Amino acid sequence: MRFPGSFVTASVVVTSLAAASNGRLRRPAVMAASTPSVDTSAPELSNTSWLNADHPLRLAGLRRRAVLLNFWVFTCYNCTNTVPSLVEFDRRYRDRGLTLIGIHTPEFPPYAGEHDKGNVARALAKLGITYPNAQDNDRHTWDTYGIQYWPSFVLIDKRGKIRYTGYGEFHLNDAEFRTWDGRIRELLAE
Amino acid sequence: MSRTLVAVLLIAVAACGPAAPFHLAVEHGRVSRLRLVGAPGARINARLKPALELEDGTVLRFDSPHLTPDSAYFFDAPTVDAPLGDTPHTGIVRASVCSAGEQLCRTFAVAVRF
Repeated sequence: MRFPGSFVTASVVVTSLAAASNGRLRRPAVMAASTPSVDTSAPELSNTSWLNADHPLRLAGLRRRAVLLNFWVFTCYNCTNTVPSLVEFDRRYRDRGLTLIGIHTPEFPPYAGEHDKGNVARALAKLGITYPNAQDNDRHTWDTYGIQYWPSFVLIDKRGKIRYTGYGEFHLNDAEFRTWDGRIRELLAE
Repeated sequence: MSRTLVAVLLIAVAACGPAAPFHLAVEHGRVSRLRLVGAPGARINARLKPALELEDGTVLRFDSPHLTPDSAYFFDAPTVDAPLGDTPHTGIVRASVCSAGEQLCRTFAVAVRF
Protein backbone atom coordinates (compact mmCIF):
# COMPACT_ATOMS: atom_id res chain seq x y z
CA MET A 1 0.00 0.00 0.00
CA ARG A 2 1.22 3.45 -0.84
CA PHE A 3 0.51 6.69 0.89
CA PRO A 4 -0.21 9.25 -1.80
CA GLY A 5 0.46 12.74 -0.72
CA SER A 6 1.42 11.74 2.76
CA PHE A 7 4.62 11.50 4.67
CA VAL A 8 5.98 8.23 5.88
CA THR A 9 8.40 8.31 8.72
CA ALA A 10 11.57 6.32 8.50
CA SER A 11 11.59 3.44 10.88
CA VAL A 12 14.73 4.02 12.86
CA VAL A 13 18.13 5.48 12.50
CA VAL A 14 20.74 2.78 12.28
CA THR A 15 23.68 4.97 12.91
CA SER A 16 24.96 8.40 12.40
CA LEU A 17 28.68 8.62 12.17
CA ALA A 18 28.56 12.32 12.75
CA ALA A 19 27.62 12.30 16.36
CA ALA A 20 27.15 15.58 18.13
CA SER A 21 30.42 17.11 19.05
CA ASN A 22 29.68 20.67 20.05
CA GLY A 23 32.04 21.69 17.30
CA ARG A 24 35.05 20.06 18.83
CA LEU A 25 36.88 16.91 18.01
CA ARG A 26 36.03 14.13 20.39
CA ARG A 27 39.31 13.33 21.99
CA PRO A 28 40.59 9.83 22.32
CA ALA A 29 39.66 8.19 25.55
CA VAL A 30 43.14 8.82 26.85
CA MET A 31 42.57 12.55 26.35
CA ALA A 32 39.13 12.75 27.90
CA ALA A 33 40.15 14.05 31.29
CA SER A 34 42.21 17.14 31.92
CA THR A 35 44.17 16.16 35.00
CA PRO A 36 47.93 16.15 34.60
CA SER A 37 48.07 12.46 35.44
CA VAL A 38 46.02 11.49 32.40
CA ASP A 39 47.87 9.18 30.07
CA THR A 40 48.17 10.90 26.72
CA SER A 41 50.13 8.11 25.10
CA ALA A 42 49.21 7.76 21.47
CA PRO A 43 47.53 4.42 20.82
CA GLU A 44 49.75 2.10 18.81
CA LEU A 45 49.02 1.59 15.14
CA SER A 46 48.08 -1.93 14.09
CA ASN A 47 47.35 -1.42 10.40
CA THR A 48 48.75 -4.16 8.20
CA SER A 49 48.28 -2.72 4.71
CA TRP A 50 50.56 0.17 3.87
CA LEU A 51 51.54 2.25 0.88
CA ASN A 52 54.76 4.22 0.51
CA ALA A 53 56.29 2.02 3.21
CA ASP A 54 58.18 -1.22 2.85
CA HIS A 55 56.89 -2.49 6.18
CA PRO A 56 54.03 -1.66 8.56
CA LEU A 57 54.92 1.34 10.69
CA ARG A 58 54.51 1.34 14.45
CA LEU A 59 54.72 4.35 16.73
CA ALA A 60 57.04 2.43 19.01
CA GLY A 61 59.55 2.46 16.21
CA LEU A 62 59.22 6.21 15.72
CA ARG A 63 60.26 7.43 19.15
CA ARG A 64 62.49 10.50 18.95
CA ARG A 65 60.50 11.62 15.93
CA ALA A 66 57.38 13.78 15.87
CA VAL A 67 54.51 12.09 14.09
CA LEU A 68 51.60 13.76 12.34
CA LEU A 69 48.67 11.46 11.62
CA ASN A 70 46.26 12.59 8.92
CA PHE A 71 42.95 10.77 8.82
CA TRP A 72 41.62 11.11 5.29
CA VAL A 73 40.02 9.42 2.31
CA PHE A 74 40.54 10.18 -1.35
CA THR A 75 36.81 10.76 -1.98
CA CYS A 76 36.76 13.67 0.47
CA TYR A 77 37.27 17.02 -1.20
CA ASN A 78 38.23 18.72 2.07
CA CYS A 79 40.86 16.04 2.54
CA THR A 80 42.42 16.30 -0.90
CA ASN A 81 42.39 20.08 -0.67
CA THR A 82 44.57 19.78 2.42
CA VAL A 83 47.09 17.43 0.83
CA PRO A 84 49.32 20.18 -0.64
CA SER A 85 49.86 21.51 2.87
CA LEU A 86 50.75 18.06 4.17
CA VAL A 87 53.10 17.44 1.27
CA GLU A 88 54.76 20.73 2.15
CA PHE A 89 55.12 19.74 5.82
CA ASP A 90 56.69 16.48 4.68
CA ARG A 91 59.08 18.34 2.38
CA ARG A 92 60.10 20.81 5.08
CA TYR A 93 60.39 18.56 8.08
CA ARG A 94 60.92 14.90 7.18
CA ASP A 95 64.69 15.27 7.38
CA ARG A 96 64.34 17.28 10.59
CA GLY A 97 62.47 14.59 12.45
CA LEU A 98 58.82 14.61 11.35
CA THR A 99 57.09 11.47 10.14
CA LEU A 100 53.84 12.19 8.39
CA ILE A 101 51.46 9.24 8.18
CA GLY A 102 48.20 9.14 6.27
CA ILE A 103 45.51 6.98 7.81
CA HIS A 104 43.27 6.27 4.85
CA THR A 105 39.82 5.56 6.30
CA PRO A 106 36.90 4.82 3.97
CA GLU A 107 33.56 6.51 4.48
CA PHE A 108 31.46 3.88 2.69
CA PRO A 109 31.39 0.07 2.49
CA PRO A 110 33.67 -1.65 -0.04
CA TYR A 111 31.27 -1.24 -2.97
CA ALA A 112 32.35 2.40 -3.20
CA GLY A 113 35.94 1.50 -4.06
CA GLU A 114 37.61 3.31 -1.17
CA HIS A 115 38.90 0.03 0.29
CA ASP A 116 40.73 -0.91 -2.87
CA LYS A 117 44.48 -0.58 -2.51
CA GLY A 118 44.91 0.15 -6.20
CA ASN A 119 42.53 3.06 -5.98
CA VAL A 120 44.38 4.43 -2.97
CA ALA A 121 47.69 4.03 -4.77
CA ARG A 122 46.37 5.94 -7.77
CA ALA A 123 45.14 8.71 -5.49
CA LEU A 124 48.54 8.96 -3.80
CA ALA A 125 50.27 9.24 -7.17
CA LYS A 126 47.80 11.80 -8.46
CA LEU A 127 48.14 13.92 -5.33
CA GLY A 128 51.92 13.64 -5.13
CA ILE A 129 51.88 11.93 -1.74
CA THR A 130 55.13 10.12 -0.96
CA TYR A 131 54.77 9.80 2.81
CA PRO A 132 53.52 6.50 4.27
CA ASN A 133 49.84 5.72 4.26
CA ALA A 134 48.03 2.99 6.14
CA GLN A 135 44.80 1.47 4.94
CA ASP A 136 42.37 1.66 7.83
CA ASN A 137 39.62 -0.29 6.11
CA ASP A 138 38.17 -1.68 9.33
CA ARG A 139 38.35 1.76 10.98
CA HIS A 140 40.23 0.34 13.91
CA THR A 141 42.68 3.23 14.10
CA TRP A 142 39.92 5.77 13.42
CA ASP A 143 37.88 4.38 16.31
CA THR A 144 40.84 4.00 18.62
CA TYR A 145 41.68 7.67 18.24
CA GLY A 146 38.03 8.72 18.49
CA ILE A 147 38.03 10.45 15.12
CA GLN A 148 34.75 11.78 13.71
CA TYR A 149 35.54 13.95 10.73
CA TRP A 150 37.44 13.87 7.47
CA PRO A 151 40.08 15.24 7.50
CA SER A 152 41.43 15.05 11.06
CA PHE A 153 44.91 15.41 12.49
CA VAL A 154 46.79 14.09 15.51
CA LEU A 155 50.26 15.42 16.32
CA ILE A 156 52.40 13.17 18.50
CA ASP A 157 55.61 14.24 20.18
CA LYS A 158 58.94 12.46 20.29
CA ARG A 159 57.95 10.59 23.46
CA GLY A 160 54.83 9.19 21.85
CA LYS A 161 52.40 11.56 23.56
CA ILE A 162 49.45 13.16 21.82
CA ARG A 163 50.03 16.90 21.93
CA TYR A 164 47.61 18.40 19.42
CA THR A 165 44.48 17.28 17.63
CA GLY A 166 42.27 19.01 15.12
CA TYR A 167 40.18 18.67 12.03
CA GLY A 168 39.09 20.46 8.89
CA GLU A 169 40.56 21.59 5.61
CA PHE A 170 43.37 24.12 5.46
CA HIS A 171 45.56 25.53 2.73
CA LEU A 172 49.16 26.43 2.10
CA ASN A 173 50.14 29.40 4.25
CA ASP A 174 46.69 30.16 5.61
CA ALA A 175 46.24 30.74 9.35
CA GLU A 176 45.52 27.12 10.14
CA PHE A 177 48.52 26.00 8.11
CA ARG A 178 50.74 28.38 10.07
CA THR A 179 49.30 27.09 13.34
CA TRP A 180 50.13 23.49 12.47
CA ASP A 181 53.50 24.53 11.15
CA GLY A 182 54.27 26.19 14.47
CA ARG A 183 53.15 23.13 16.41
CA ILE A 184 55.38 20.88 14.33
CA ARG A 185 58.38 23.16 14.84
CA GLU A 186 57.69 23.28 18.55
CA LEU A 187 57.75 19.50 18.83
CA LEU A 188 60.81 19.16 16.63
CA ALA A 189 62.67 21.62 18.86
CA GLU A 190 62.05 19.60 22.01
CA MET B 1 1.89 7.87 -16.54
CA SER B 2 0.64 8.62 -13.09
CA ARG B 3 3.05 8.72 -10.28
CA THR B 4 2.67 8.70 -6.57
CA LEU B 5 4.92 10.87 -4.54
CA VAL B 6 6.02 9.61 -1.19
CA ALA B 7 8.42 11.53 0.91
CA VAL B 8 10.39 9.58 3.41
CA LEU B 9 11.54 11.56 6.36
CA LEU B 10 14.79 10.64 7.94
CA ILE B 11 14.81 11.34 11.62
CA ALA B 12 17.83 11.03 13.77
CA VAL B 13 16.76 9.51 17.03
CA ALA B 14 20.08 8.12 18.13
CA ALA B 15 21.28 9.60 21.35
CA CYS B 16 23.35 12.70 20.71
CA GLY B 17 23.06 12.20 16.96
CA PRO B 18 22.22 15.16 14.76
CA ALA B 19 19.36 14.98 12.33
CA ALA B 20 20.34 13.72 8.93
CA PRO B 21 20.90 16.75 6.70
CA PHE B 22 18.86 15.27 3.86
CA HIS B 23 15.63 13.48 3.14
CA LEU B 24 14.62 10.91 0.59
CA ALA B 25 11.73 11.62 -1.76
CA VAL B 26 10.31 8.62 -3.61
CA GLU B 27 8.20 9.05 -6.71
CA HIS B 28 6.50 5.79 -7.54
CA GLY B 29 5.52 4.75 -11.01
CA ARG B 30 6.44 1.96 -13.42
CA VAL B 31 9.93 2.85 -12.43
CA SER B 32 10.42 4.53 -9.10
CA ARG B 33 12.52 7.66 -8.93
CA LEU B 34 14.32 8.29 -5.66
CA ARG B 35 15.66 11.75 -4.96
CA LEU B 36 18.04 12.68 -2.17
CA VAL B 37 17.25 16.21 -1.11
CA GLY B 38 19.82 18.02 0.99
CA ALA B 39 18.85 20.36 3.79
CA PRO B 40 19.75 24.03 3.32
CA GLY B 41 23.51 24.42 3.61
CA ALA B 42 24.18 20.72 3.28
CA ARG B 43 26.50 19.87 0.39
CA ILE B 44 26.25 16.25 -0.71
CA ASN B 45 29.59 14.79 -1.77
CA ALA B 46 29.53 13.92 -5.47
CA ARG B 47 32.89 12.16 -5.34
CA LEU B 48 31.30 9.54 -3.17
CA LYS B 49 27.88 9.04 -4.69
CA PRO B 50 25.18 8.52 -2.07
CA ALA B 51 23.80 5.01 -1.81
CA LEU B 52 20.58 3.28 -0.92
CA GLU B 53 21.30 -0.18 0.40
CA LEU B 54 18.10 -2.21 0.08
CA GLU B 55 17.14 -5.10 2.31
CA ASP B 56 17.83 -7.65 -0.42
CA GLY B 57 21.44 -6.49 -0.78
CA THR B 58 20.88 -4.31 -3.81
CA VAL B 59 22.86 -1.08 -3.73
CA LEU B 60 21.53 1.88 -5.69
CA ARG B 61 23.78 4.89 -6.23
CA PHE B 62 22.39 8.39 -6.60
CA ASP B 63 23.78 10.68 -9.25
CA SER B 64 23.20 13.91 -11.08
CA PRO B 65 24.95 15.56 -14.02
CA HIS B 66 24.71 18.92 -12.30
CA LEU B 67 27.69 19.49 -10.06
CA THR B 68 29.25 22.50 -8.41
CA PRO B 69 32.05 24.14 -10.43
CA ASP B 70 34.69 22.22 -8.49
CA SER B 71 32.87 18.94 -9.27
CA ALA B 72 32.95 18.12 -5.60
CA TYR B 73 29.27 18.41 -4.71
CA PHE B 74 25.87 17.94 -6.30
CA PHE B 75 24.36 21.18 -7.51
CA ASP B 76 20.87 19.68 -7.44
CA ALA B 77 19.36 16.66 -5.78
CA PRO B 78 20.89 13.42 -7.05
CA THR B 79 18.43 10.76 -8.16
CA VAL B 80 18.29 7.09 -8.99
CA ASP B 81 15.62 5.16 -10.89
CA ALA B 82 14.74 1.62 -9.94
CA PRO B 83 11.92 -0.85 -10.65
CA LEU B 84 10.90 -1.19 -7.04
CA GLY B 85 7.29 -2.31 -7.55
CA ASP B 86 4.54 -1.64 -5.06
CA THR B 87 5.79 -3.57 -2.08
CA PRO B 88 7.19 -1.62 0.86
CA HIS B 89 10.95 -1.40 1.07
CA THR B 90 13.42 -0.86 3.81
CA GLY B 91 17.03 0.06 3.51
CA ILE B 92 19.83 2.35 4.53
CA VAL B 93 20.61 5.65 2.89
CA ARG B 94 24.29 6.49 3.12
CA ALA B 95 25.67 9.88 2.16
CA SER B 96 28.78 11.94 2.73
CA VAL B 97 27.82 15.48 3.59
CA CYS B 98 30.01 18.52 3.89
CA SER B 99 28.03 21.39 5.34
CA ALA B 100 28.62 24.89 4.06
CA GLY B 101 30.78 26.80 6.48
CA GLU B 102 32.51 23.67 7.68
CA GLN B 103 35.71 22.44 6.11
CA LEU B 104 35.08 18.78 6.77
CA CYS B 105 32.96 15.81 5.75
CA ARG B 106 30.71 13.58 7.81
CA THR B 107 29.03 10.34 6.85
CA PHE B 108 25.40 9.70 7.62
CA ALA B 109 23.83 6.24 7.46
CA VAL B 110 20.13 6.30 8.09
CA ALA B 111 17.48 3.58 7.98
CA VAL B 112 14.46 4.25 5.78
CA ARG B 113 11.14 2.60 5.05
CA PHE B 114 9.11 3.62 2.04
